[in-house]
Amino acid sequence: MLTMLSEKSLPINSLAEHFDMSRPAVSKHIKIMYNAGFISIEDIGRERYCTLKKDGFDELQKWISFFDNFWKGKLKNLETLLNNKIKK
Amino acid sequence: MERSINHRVFYPHAPEVVWDYLTKAELMEQWLMKNNFELKLGHDFQFNTGPIPSMDFDGIVYCKVLEIEPLKKLTYSWKCGPGNGQITIDSIVYWTLLAKDNGTELLLENSGFKEANFNVVIFNAMEQGWLANMNKIYKIINEAKNASTNA
Repeated sequence: MLTMLSEKSLPINSLAEHFDMSRPAVSKHIKIMYNAGFISIEDIGRERYCTLKKDGFDELQKWISFFDNFWKGKLKNLETLLNNKIKK
Repeated sequence: MERSINHRVFYPHAPEVVWDYLTKAELMEQWLMKNNFELKLGHDFQFNTGPIPSMDFDGIVYCKVLEIEPLKKLTYSWKCGPGNGQITIDSIVYWTLLAKDNGTELLLENSGFKEANFNVVIFNAMEQGWLANMNKIYKIINEAKNASTNA
């Protein structure tokens, strides 16, 4: 369910269609995720939309980008170091 | 979401040379960071660099040697946080060396990123746990229903 929401906000009804669960079971599942702070719920027209709260994910992504650049730089250092070794 | 960092670099040096630069503390320091690494399975060590307050990073990477395959493979955990030994980021670094005709191909994978004590961990557990429970409940209700119909 959270994986589906990671792509876009979805109305509860269309979320429910994807799971082999009764509608009350889906509602209960959503309520738990809402209470845990993983999703927000918003009424748009007649539908109730669920949206994934991305704070936690963005934080992790920030670290991954940071280390991605970090390693790129370090591997470049190693290359320079080893190249200098050849010249000596 | 991409949760794995992968880099591949070719160095015109024998695997023995590259391996030394990955496993000797004084050589590692020259291109990576100051450290107290030892090539021993289970050895706990640290890398030290400058703190980065904007990242909530105290500048220390806490590691443990997880796998050694001389000249071929080296794996260690890679954890860091805001200080006082508190860990917020938990990941693993995998080094793989491939011997080539005129050098070595070095593969780096930094993956398994988890935010310790954070939403992601809880959410993974919840997602798995609750789905299983929900399915169980569904099954029990169905069985009860069938039983009462048959009775």
